[in-house]
Amino acid sequence: MMKTKNIYNLFKRRYIATMVVLVTVIGVTFNSCADLEPDPLEFNLPPEVFGNFDDMDKAVTGLYGKIVNASRWTTFYAPAWAGDDITTWSAGNKADFREFDQRNVQSSNGRLLSNWNAIYDVINTANSVLDRANGLLELDVDQNLLNQYIGETHFIRGIMFYQLARVHGRIALPLSVIPDPNISRSSQLEVYEQIEADLMEAEMRLPEVYPGVERGAPRPNKGSARAILARLYMDWAGFPVKDNSKYAMAASSAKTVMDNASTHNFSLVDDLDDLWTLANKFNDESLFAIVGCNTCGDFVTANWKYGILGLPGSEGGWSETFAEIKFYEDMPEGPRKEATYRTDLDWQNFSGANDQKSPVFKKIANTDLPAGSFITARNDFFMRYAEILLIYAEASARSGNVNADAWESLNMIRRRAAGLPYATPDPSVDVTSGDLAELAFEERKWEFAGEYVRWFDLVRMERVQEALGNRDPVGPIPEHNPIIGSLGTDNYFSPVPAEAINNNPNLAN
Amino acid sequence: MTKHFTRILKKFSVFGVFLALMSVQQIYAQQTVTGKITDETNQGVPGANILKQGSNVGVTSDFDGNYSISASQGDVLVFSFVGYKTKSVTVGNNLNVNIQLEPDVASLDEVVVIGYGTAKKSDLAGAVSQVSAKSFEDQPMTRVEDALKGRASGVTVAGSGQPGSPIKVRIRGVNSITGDNNPLVVVDGVFGGDLRTINPNDIASMEILKDASALAIYGSRASNGVILVTTKKGRGGDAKISVDQFVTISSLAKSIDRLSSSQFAEAINLETPGSFTAAEIEALRANPNDWEDLTTQTGIVSNTQLSISGGDVKLNYFVSGNYIDQEGTIINTGYKRGAFRANLGAEINDKLNVNVNLYGSRDYTLNDQDAFNWNGGFLLKALTWDPTVAPQDANGDWIYRGEYANNGWNPMFELSQSVNELVSDRLNVTINASYAINDNLSYSLIASGTRNNANTESLKWARDPSLGVGSDFNSAGFRNFRQTTHQVSNVLNWKESFDKHNIDVTGVYEFQGARSTTNSYNANDVNVPGFYHTDNSASEFFANSGSESSIQSYLARVQYNFDNSFYLTGSIRVDESSKFKKGNRTGTFPSVAAAYSFNNSSFVEDSDVLSNLKFRAGWGQVGNENINAQAGITLTNDAGLYSFDGQSPVTGQTLTQIGNPDLKWETTTQLNVGLDYGFLNGKIRGAIDYYKKETEDLLLRRTVTGTLYSQFENVGRVENKGLDFSISADIINNDDFTWDATFNLSSLSNEVTELYDGLDQVQGNSQIIGGTQERTDIIKVGEPLGTFLGYTFLGTWKTSEAAAADAFGRVPGDPKFLRDSDGELVLGPIGNGLPSTTWGLNQTFTYKNFTLNVFINGASGFDVYNMTRGLLDGGTATVRNSVSLERLNAWTPTNETEIPRIGHVNLLNSTRWVEDGSYIRLNNVKLGYTFTELIRGVDRLEFYASGQNLLLITDYKGYDPEVSTRANPYSSGTTNGADVGTGLDVGSYPNPRTYTLGVKIQF
Repeated sequence: MMKTKNIYNLFKRRYIATMVVLVTVIGVTFNSCADLEPDPLEFNLPPEVFGNFDDMDKAVTGLYGKIVNASRWTTFYAPAWAGDDITTWSAGNKADFREFDQRNVQSSNGRLLSNWNAIYDVINTANSVLDRANGLLELDVDQNLLNQYIGETHFIRGIMFYQLARVHGRIALPLSVIPDPNISRSSQLEVYEQIEADLMEAEMRLPEVYPGVERGAPRPNKGSARAILARLYMDWAGFPVKDNSKYAMAASSAKTVMDNASTHNFSLVDDLDDLWTLANKFNDESLFAIVGCNTCGDFVTANWKYGILGLPGSEGGWSETFAEIKFYEDMPEGPRKEATYRTDLDWQNFSGANDQKSPVFKKIANTDLPAGSFITARNDFFMRYAEILLIYAEASARSGNVNADAWESLNMIRRRAAGLPYATPDPSVDVTSGDLAELAFEERKWEFAGEYVRWFDLVRMERVQEALGNRDPVGPIPEHNPIIGSLGTDNYFSPVPAEAINNNPNLAN
Repeated sequence: MTKHFTRILKKFSVFGVFLALMSVQQIYAQQTVTGKITDETNQGVPGANILKQGSNVGVTSDFDGNYSISASQGDVLVFSFVGYKTKSVTVGNNLNVNIQLEPDVASLDEVVVIGYGTAKKSDLAGAVSQVSAKSFEDQPMTRVEDALKGRASGVTVAGSGQPGSPIKVRIRGVNSITGDNNPLVVVDGVFGGDLRTINPNDIASMEILKDASALAIYGSRASNGVILVTTKKGRGGDAKISVDQFVTISSLAKSIDRLSSSQFAEAINLETPGSFTAAEIEALRANPNDWEDLTTQTGIVSNTQLSISGGDVKLNYFVSGNYIDQEGTIINTGYKRGAFRANLGAEINDKLNVNVNLYGSRDYTLNDQDAFNWNGGFLLKALTWDPTVAPQDANGDWIYRGEYANNGWNPMFELSQSVNELVSDRLNVTINASYAINDNLSYSLIASGTRNNANTESLKWARDPSLGVGSDFNSAGFRNFRQTTHQVSNVLNWKESFDKHNIDVTGVYEFQGARSTTNSYNANDVNVPGFYHTDNSASEFFANSGSESSIQSYLARVQYNFDNSFYLTGSIRVDESSKFKKGNRTGTFPSVAAAYSFNNSSFVEDSDVLSNLKFRAGWGQVGNENINAQAGITLTNDAGLYSFDGQSPVTGQTLTQIGNPDLKWETTTQLNVGLDYGFLNGKIRGAIDYYKKETEDLLLRRTVTGTLYSQFENVGRVENKGLDFSISADIINNDDFTWDATFNLSSLSNEVTELYDGLDQVQGNSQIIGGTQERTDIIKVGEPLGTFLGYTFLGTWKTSEAAAADAFGRVPGDPKFLRDSDGELVLGPIGNGLPSTTWGLNQTFTYKNFTLNVFINGASGFDVYNMTRGLLDGGTATVRNSVSLERLNAWTPTNETEIPRIGHVNLLNSTRWVEDGSYIRLNNVKLGYTFTELIRGVDRLEFYASGQNLLLITDYKGYDPEVSTRANPYSSGTTNGADVGTGLDVGSYPNPRTYTLGVKIQF
């Protein structure tokens, strides 16, 4: 009772009033002294929609930045190490490449995961560009330019879906800015249809030649999109969907590109040896090029797949990309072999403690590249005109339409490989009879050696066992990385990365 | 401790006599009163103050406690001494006045700073550790963080040997997965201090707020703990000048054994016969290249400290200056700091006090190794460098590459030619005015502004310049970071006592703001001799960024105690932050704590043994808003650089972050129970606390599933539990000899209890060097933060297992790893870098004028991922050939050891390279001698010699298990490297061993 009274007295004291007054005064004086709504646009552009073309131009450039981010390292092509043309160092940090090379790809493979993440990063960025472009549809802007940007974005999304589908077969197909976190993998057919749809959308919207760019389509045109459709139909006709009707579509697509080649500035270069030089990195044979720049202030714009990546230790190299020995020995002699391999190097007598006795690709480690640097200005030819010619030859034959143009397409490649003018018939190398499809398929093997193409040819034609099951040493040196996994169709596609499944278990199915 | 403190004061205060002699005394023609001042044991008290009441006239007692002072009859003499009750005597006829002082138990009670006020330690209901200047003044130190190490329970400090580099301070574990876990530092009431920039000599004390009841008044910024730093103030009296100067030599405490140049050449000949001729090997034997020696040095550190303090009743001042020049143990690395402080206090009138604190500092860091292109630290590059190659050839030209071992570029070239300078200027002005409205009610205003300018100018050389433009042989960079912060706090305090009730109420309104901007540019491949010649290079690139944020807060705290027995504290803070959208902006952080002291109970009062017993319990919630100002909004960034023409870059822009309007505070709820104890009249005393912290709604920067976009979300949960224990004892305390000791121990158990989207694990952000893109850390439900990810090493495949090995493409002699039933390698948690126990034992012995300080600290229950040892073993892309002694015992068909064969593929992320990091360190030994009467006018002159890190007891095979390596960040990672990726040694800058000679002079 006593206590209560004391407290009561206390509250009566007058300085309580003083305190109340003070608190009020302070409260009023200092209220809203903190600026709780700083302007977010002071340091950032509005991200939701494009306000003008400049914004969209920047965003499409950003999309290319994502492509170069995904393709800067050999990781982008690591699955192609499974082909019988490419191998890697049997030691060092190349375990991830060896898993492909030895057909023993683990779901924990670091390259597999990096590639998965980087490609979806491009796809998601493309989705965000398409979404933000909606803001421009209502504006009075140049519709041709808008079409061009939208078409370009579809092109990029399509080829990225395709690149990933070639590794994993069935993939998820996110089309919204923020993908469904529980998205499942689509069927193989749905995957092909989506790629086809994107490329056809691109073909429709893109110009005949992208204005204001170098040769070799550093930005795509109608022909680039149709060319990749031709490649898609070849795969579609083969394993695993095996829809033979697509061969005719592959042939007709290839023919469309051939017929309009001059419109798109596409042609074969005269000398194959010119293709992999820095001086000739912008050339008409490239149907779409990913450009490298090593003098652009930041080396993220450079290409990190060439030069020392393909050289052994004693040459200052990183021993990542080597040629397989049997393939090298089997390859017909001639100018094409000289353009493909560094025949100036005595690979059988590499003797450094960190050297592997493997042939060196000239396509990878050409002599004009800076010694000692992995940073190069090389372009990647996403697809070459030579492939269109060989698709036409092979697809025509496989669709039962062997014709003179198809033979001529094959022979153009054979003539150039022999160092002859490709447009001038030459009986010493031309063929006009036999199994055109198989001749064209064989021609692809040599033409695209070391270009990360061969493995996908083996897959679509189910020739993996045939190619890799017989690698008896031809020369004095055995292959460095023996096959340890299955060569059956059950092992053609790589598993979905374990971490991706960890993040979204639906991807396991 | 306090009693010991009193004793020390007694001893030192004798120099007050000199002070008294020097000072101009106003002496009237009066009588002289003399006498002796004694303590409760009848010992003379030297240095006691005798003041004539109502005047400035005062003297101090001499060494034996005798004094003499002029006084008239009727004057009142006031006798005072720290730790004793003040006595007043009116001068009468007897001119001989002897005084016996009585110990004052209440005044012995330490005052601790608790945020927006102070409290007597005995009144606290929460868990607060105090580190006073006294506890670290016996260790010569250049960094404030060193003062915290092992001296406060619940605090862990992990250093780096790199001069000037950040030191990791953690309070009661780690909560945050993607944000940082640095505690909030509040200097003299002002948020956002940087311990690195503070002059340790300016510090009077540091309080570490640990439990939620102590922390909740810091609300949304308190979840990582709070360190309150109080700087020294002047005291009335004549000017005191203090000069400290020490010189330290520092060097590597250990050398890593490797193959010598000739041994390595012989080993290479075994791999590839004929690589080296006998003559070449002989030449290497005669002139070996020891790359560890080449890249390290004996560093000299010199530290100069000057302070002047003094004042009178109305005005006091403390002015100090400090300059430190520190060379690293790795060549061409170093740190300098100049700092100036002026703390002025003025009593304007009875009611109004104004303090102005002015602090400026300049930091200079040369070649911080984290600023360099990362392929391991400098020492890692040096240790793994081809020992058959000299840095330069006979003509003095650099030899850029080695054919063996490390596949990079000459680290001597990089290290000796590069200049990366970071200069950081910091200026803080704080005004603290307090006005006593009446005896019970006071108002104070803290207004503060801080400006920080940090400039980096660098020209870093990496490769052979003859490779030319486009090869990245060097890079020049400039970065200017500017930050301005302000704070205004209005504090109203009301204190009242009636009967046995004591009540203390504090109310605060506060607002703060910060704005920072950054501009930078860089250029590559400029073949010029210095940073200022890099204009007009072929490739230039620039970037700008900035952010702004603000916060306003309301806070109330009530402290109540009944009869100094029952204590109750409650507080609530409301924060509104601009980092969150309206609706989620306001966070409310309550806390409550109660304590009961048995000191008034008979069983303590009557006990000869027990002298203090108090139980405490507290609960509260604190927050974390430590995200960048734009965390909640959708962002596109100027990135995605591309060159369409192969010559000129175009900057693109891509979506990088998805906004989250629902973003809000991260909340940590903490329960703390503890007890304070004292025995033998306080000769033994300390505290034990148990805590359980649960952090939920983590502000987690996650990757949106299926993308590389980041998004901040309030997801996940982390738990920290632990025990903090401290004990101090005055073991021996007599005239000539004293021995006192303080021991602190902190144990911690950390666990991730929930992630997002139902995930049970997420890989971390630290990546192995060597381009395999494999991560070294994992965040897994049920495991602590700092968990290592890797394979389990099972020795070697033996000849008898050749067939089994072949199934996996392995041959006998290859390393064998744990596999699951499908034959896939098992990748999982294989260790943890977060120590479960840390402790420190600080002992001081004095014998007459000698002082000996011995400080030992340790940590246990953690692992180190020794990638340095892993890389020494070669077999990776980065390091090809082993330079490790281990290769001498490698597997051969005739000697099937568990060390894999020469030429095997070395997986760096395996248990083979995980080692126990537990250690005990002789952190400091200091022997000092104090002269008392050597020079007239000098109060105190101390010479000392000391050594730090003199002995390290550990099984760890690297330089030092206290590692602080920055890891190679994973390209799309979001987790923080400092805690989630802790314990990684990829060429950490090791803690040096140092020897110091110093002198302290006080006038």
